[in-house]
Amino acid sequence: MTALAVAGLSLRLGAFTLGDLSFTLAANEILVVLGPNGAGKSVMLETIAGFHRPARGRILIGGRDVTALPPEQRRVGFLVQNFGLFSHLTVAQNVALAAKARRGVEDGHRVPNVTQLLERFGIAHLTDASPLVLSPGEKQRTALARAEASHPDLFLLDEPFSALDTKARDELRTELGRFLREVHASALFVTHDYIDVAALGDRVAVMHDGKIIQLGTIAEVFRRPSNRIAADILGIENLLNGQVETGNGRLLCIVVAGATFHAEIADGTALTGEVCVAVRAEDVRLARSGHGRAATLDNRLAGKVIALQPLGALTKVTLDCGFRLVASLMTRDVAELGLFPGAAAVAVIPVADVHVLAP
Amino acid sequence: MNGGQRAWRGAESAGFPVVLLISWFLGGLLLAFILLPLIQLLVAQTAGTMLRVAAEADVRNAVVLSVGAAFLTALVAGAFGIPLAYLLARGVFRGKGMVAAIVDIPLTVPHTVAGIALLMVFGRYGVIGEPLENYLGLRFWGTLAGIVVAMLFVSVPYTVNAARIAFEGIDPRIEMVARTLGMGPLQAVARVTLPLAWRGIATGLTLTFARSISEFGAVVILVYYPMTAPVKIYDMFLNYGLQDASAAAALLLLVSLALFILFRHLAYGRWPIAGNGR
Repeated sequence: MTALAVAGLSLRLGAFTLGDLSFTLAANEILVVLGPNGAGKSVMLETIAGFHRPARGRILIGGRDVTALPPEQRRVGFLVQNFGLFSHLTVAQNVALAAKARRGVEDGHRVPNVTQLLERFGIAHLTDASPLVLSPGEKQRTALARAEASHPDLFLLDEPFSALDTKARDELRTELGRFLREVHASALFVTHDYIDVAALGDRVAVMHDGKIIQLGTIAEVFRRPSNRIAADILGIENLLNGQVETGNGRLLCIVVAGATFHAEIADGTALTGEVCVAVRAEDVRLARSGHGRAATLDNRLAGKVIALQPLGALTKVTLDCGFRLVASLMTRDVAELGLFPGAAAVAVIPVADVHVLAP
Repeated sequence: MNGGQRAWRGAESAGFPVVLLISWFLGGLLLAFILLPLIQLLVAQTAGTMLRVAAEADVRNAVVLSVGAAFLTALVAGAFGIPLAYLLARGVFRGKGMVAAIVDIPLTVPHTVAGIALLMVFGRYGVIGEPLENYLGLRFWGTLAGIVVAMLFVSVPYTVNAARIAFEGIDPRIEMVARTLGMGPLQAVARVTLPLAWRGIATGLTLTFARSISEFGAVVILVYYPMTAPVKIYDMFLNYGLQDASAAAALLLLVSLALFILFRHLAYGRWPIAGNGR
């Protein structure tokens, strides 16, 4: 069964346009929509929830055409940044209000037991607490219990924890993922943080400028971004413009600012002319000089260290190889190699880790 | 929405001692300037004069009329001002700045001017006053309705502005969440938005009430009789001198202060409500 089907959805909102979106979400599936700020993710979510009237297209939730229905009849659970709890009510009243409100619109609605819901979400001890005094985790659980009280057919999550610090975000992400799996929820999760994608999603849609530019399984999309913009959104650090020189046999030669890259030719990379070379920072290894033993198929690029940026266990090393190349190394390896700004270094990139994209 | 965070209250703990000292000195002078005349007014009274004046039916009626009219004014201001405040906070339309400016006009118009302008509209021969009296028997001169009209004109901006700020402080997405949970638009506003904005709205209504009680200029021009307390005090000042007038003034001051404190307590005395701080 399809939990959500969006067909040809278009919308104009001021200067902003949502362009011809079509995708489906299977039952129990979590689709993460990844895109930078201003890509239209929130507008898309709000349109699915019923807050903007689309110019064209249809929205089906659980097979019901809801395009013309108001938000209260769409049966969606909407989680927003900071969770949108009603701070004039207690935790229990938040949940109870949702249970009652749903009964108001639908006759057949089974009113859930508020106490049981609070126990299930581990917030029974907070029954009479004000949402203002809750920790982020407790807020999330209250928001989920409240959404559950209205029996949604579909969860719409709009960066619910993007305002939190990294540690809280990690905890909440884990907990949210566990909850969504437990209740076999169908969910659309919108985020600008690619860390959320692998942790929560089954599939990922990359959104840019009001359009979905790539949609697929997470492995697929991360391995093979459809173009430079998608690669950038997916967090690939090194995106270099180059020119295809020769394609001999199974290897492609690409010249980037005077340096030559070798890449494997995969399906569909019958390429000539301008291309974009994409290399993840963690796929770049560094050596102090060019004399080390190396596999013949590795790209070797001589350069100079221009910056070291320690990030705890990892250190980001920026090299000047005629172009800027970022490598992500274990901090202890950086110390072992004796790297410092100004030091000469050789970047070693396996051929298999050089991805050739449309520019 | 930042009301949900247990935020560090910077203003209470930060600041340079020298700056705070200067602020205390200048601010203290200002507080003294506000309190001294009021205290002087109260301590200058003798119990005898106070009781005698309070025993006068005229004076008591005037105080009751002032309080009642101000209360009605706050109700009318709420009924019409809160929707306008919501419109200004949430609506997207051309000329919104203009509408907001119109709301503020009564604050800048001298109240005698307001009284005369109102007289030309609601007076015996006013463009609204005359037909309303002829066809509906509703009269604005010499009536409670006229007092409320005069009070409303000068005091309604406080309700609109305070409620607008309160609404603006509520994340529209909270209303969206309420809708997705099954509430219709009116229900969402009634169950979620209004309670969240309650403190700001109550502040505005309290200010409208207080401003209405204190109104003299517009009221005295549109409606001389029946006399509200400020008009009565002015009348006593002209006819009986300072002593009686100041006793009535002290009485009015005590009543308004008591009500003001009561309303503030009603607005703030509940447990924390997000959306707008004190």
